[in-house]
Amino acid sequence: MEEKKDKKNVTVVEVIESGPLRISGNFILKDMKRDAENAPGEVWLCRCGRSADKPFCDGSHKIK
Amino acid sequence: MSAIPVLFTKNVKLQTDNQLRNAYMDREDSLSGNRKYSNEEITVYWKPSACVHASYCYRELIEVFDPSRRPWVDMKGAPTQKIIDTVNLCPTEALTWKWNDEVRNRQVGSDQLNHIKFRRPELLEKEPEEPLENPVSVKIMADGPIVIKGNFILEHGGNRKEITDSIISVCRCGKSDHQPFCDGKHRKTGFIG
Repeated sequence: MEEKKDKKNVTVVEVIESGPLRISGNFILKDMKRDAENAPGEVWLCRCGRSADKPFCDGSHKIK
Repeated sequence: MSAIPVLFTKNVKLQTDNQLRNAYMDREDSLSGNRKYSNEEITVYWKPSACVHASYCYRELIEVFDPSRRPWVDMKGAPTQKIIDTVNLCPTEALTWKWNDEVRNRQVGSDQLNHIKFRRPELLEKEPEEPLENPVSVKIMADGPIVIKGNFILEHGGNRKEITDSIISVCRCGKSDHQPFCDGKHRKTGFIG
């Protein structure tokens, strides 16, 4: 029987359609430009290139 | 009951430990007179031992903070933002607040004077104590894509795919012709971010 993984130890990368990239679980986020590193547990990253809060999503993708 | 597979007992034990710890902490809190009050969005913490009776709370928002009523805090008395603004007036840590959504708590700025992050960080939900093994590496490349490396589950367009020990590169500029993946277009368009 396959052992069920601890939920916290599973990392899920979700491409939200016409929206951001949601990453949750066990991961280290490293921002090479802003020289930051942490393990936030969950983030929404901008995919449209228009967020004013890069690398995070600020909802700008919804504005036409 | 010997038929219970061993792999479940660990989960059951973890759950029991957490329940015990929460029950213990709640009991400690109630013995010290500390209370917490929630609506759907936020929780307000009341620590009577820290109160200096500056009385900003009930002068500003009697609908929520009424010392003559029991319980003296009614979270239904005003909109969330009004409650936050009023708690922020408290000059001590007698009244502190947090979002119920832990993700939002991490993003709170220092202008929110009485957020527990600045007043009572011990009340913030902590990251798991034991470091988890094999964290996935997520790198935000300067003016480039998101590079994700390791073992993870990729959900895309209703599909769920298990990625084992590999690397994917996700477009951040929005211009790739190979969405959601990077095709190098950010260099041509001069993406900055």
